[in-house]
Amino acid sequence: MNVTVKSFATFREVMDRQLTLDIPEGSTIRTLLAELNGRYNGLNELMFATMDTLKDFVNILKNGRNIHFLAGLDTPLDDGDLVALFPPVAGG
Amino acid sequence: MDGYAGKMAFVDLTKGKVTIKPTPEDLKRLYLGGRGFGARIVSDRVDPKTDALSPENVIVFAAGPLTGTGIPLGSRYEVTTKAPLNDTLTSANSGGVFGWKMKKAGFDAVVISGRSPKPVFLFLNEGTAEVRDGTQYWGMRTSETTAALKRDLEDKNVRVACIGPAGEKKSRLACIINEEHRAAGRGGTGAVLGSKNVKALAATGDLPIKPADEEKLNAVKERVRKKIEENGIEKALHSYGTAVLINIINENGVLPTRNFQRGYFPQAEKISGETMAQTILTKPKGCYACIVQCGRVTKAGDEEGEGPEYEPDWAFGADCGIDDLPAIARANYRCNDLGLDAIGTATAIACAMEMTEKGYLDNGIGFGDTEKMLKLVEDIGYRRLLGAELADGSFRFAVKHGHPELSMSVKKQDLPAYDPRGIQGYGLAVATSVRGGDHVYGYMISPEILGAPEKLDPYTSEGKDQWVKTFQDLTASIDASGMCLFTSFALGADDYADLIAATTGMAMTAPDLLQIGERIWNLQKLFNLKVGYTKADDTLPDRLLKEPLQDGAPKGRVWERQPLLDNYYTVRGWDSEGRPTPEKLKELGLM
Repeated sequence: MNVTVKSFATFREVMDRQLTLDIPEGSTIRTLLAELNGRYNGLNELMFATMDTLKDFVNILKNGRNIHFLAGLDTPLDDGDLVALFPPVAGG
Repeated sequence: MDGYAGKMAFVDLTKGKVTIKPTPEDLKRLYLGGRGFGARIVSDRVDPKTDALSPENVIVFAAGPLTGTGIPLGSRYEVTTKAPLNDTLTSANSGGVFGWKMKKAGFDAVVISGRSPKPVFLFLNEGTAEVRDGTQYWGMRTSETTAALKRDLEDKNVRVACIGPAGEKKSRLACIINEEHRAAGRGGTGAVLGSKNVKALAATGDLPIKPADEEKLNAVKERVRKKIEENGIEKALHSYGTAVLINIINENGVLPTRNFQRGYFPQAEKISGETMAQTILTKPKGCYACIVQCGRVTKAGDEEGEGPEYEPDWAFGADCGIDDLPAIARANYRCNDLGLDAIGTATAIACAMEMTEKGYLDNGIGFGDTEKMLKLVEDIGYRRLLGAELADGSFRFAVKHGHPELSMSVKKQDLPAYDPRGIQGYGLAVATSVRGGDHVYGYMISPEILGAPEKLDPYTSEGKDQWVKTFQDLTASIDASGMCLFTSFALGADDYADLIAATTGMAMTAPDLLQIGERIWNLQKLFNLKVGYTKADDTLPDRLLKEPLQDGAPKGRVWERQPLLDNYYTVRGWDSEGRPTPEKLKELGLM
């Protein structure tokens, strides 16, 4: 199945701003990020505090909904999903 | 030796008289400075029923005890007055260097009342304050005024806060600009100066600003510096400016588009902070003592200036259906030079665009019409043609044309760049804001979208009443302290309390600090109740309660006013009509 990944702000300094990946059925945000970390040097350090914990203020959206309010890193992915990766950002 | 400059200047323009008094100890203790000083003084001196543009209104420029002390991001000053835009007891906050210079000139606050018979400027210099002839500057734009005053005063260190043509023409969207690009933006503060025939304040001097306990302050300074430097959010602000929010707000489906008709702008990437960094950005820029430097020096075609920040970027961009970033930057430069609130100006134009789209306005302006938008900004600044009608904001414009529902405002002040339909707690913060539509009186976007200090589900209401109260009170106290609100992404109430204690010598804990904020909030609320605002005004535009969002994850959602509002009144210690109870007022020392 295909999912589209978009990156923003400092994540763009280490990865493509948009790509579509063909990933296996049953994939989750966790397995998707593992795939991305294998492709892009430096992404893991920007994104993860520990193997299981995202850094403070990193936000990941699946189809516009923060995965924190879904199943976190275990949020399942479906064909056609859009995943947006945000490093810490703010403004106002 | 307490961080304060120690004096306040009271300027009676009608009599042409200046009185200088010591800054009262109880005012420091109960209201801290900045917004707190302003709220207390305006509340004491202005009848809530007074016409905001009459000589009886008072306008207060006030710094905080942490302003100009060398604490990172301790640069802010506050302008407080009865707002011409919506009659609330409003305050507008600005950075840059002016607040520091006002204290170096010897003043914690300048309190201006009456009306001068002719244009003047106020010259603050080493403990003196004079009213000087300003006739020669009347008619100038803010950049011209600033340059002319520096030249005429023969002092390159002088710092200027001034109005432009919009303030002179008493536009209710007029702001006050310092150092050409920093704005005390909202509520129409510039019109109050214009109504008093005050073109500018110019401050210079090098009087000492000494903390009570320098050693202790240095230790706290280092602690907060480290927290700010290590905070990922502050790093993003440096690299991409505040407009880095465009994409994350859009991807969440809450970037108001075409006058809040949609919550998703398909061309958002073209106006994003990331695009800005790759195209029009020349360099980042900071205010006094800033280690973040979220300001943007930019070049758009043959024009140079600062910005746009996130808010005007959104307002002239997504809200007006425009994806031309250089044009948005030029519109922002014009607002600064004309002395216009860039948010209110752009959202008034967006309102006119929807009126035009719906056929309610002949010879109007269509969404996405960049060239007409740029011309209209000038016309608003000079009150010309359609701009004359828009110069008092979207609310009056929409009412005049028989469609008040198309003004996306709360208490006549336009909403900022987030759609409350997908952010319930933020909706409550805006509906109850004591200065009307606003994002800096309790920034619930931080927990509900950005995840700081923790992630709150933006779609739910539970517990948001207490969160909103805490954010509103903490913000009021930060505004009183003289610190930049952006420090709150990295610092907590304990940090501010420690900074204040070391600087002022006052005993200060986090609960003390929050109570100062609560006192300020309630004082502003009491004034607004006397103006005539009621529970019915603690709401959002009908569109946001009745027309569901159409895109993305929040599709189908509206803002749900109850039980949020009643719960909020309860946690505030107010009655069911949103009035502070006698018990609450006694607790805060307000009766």
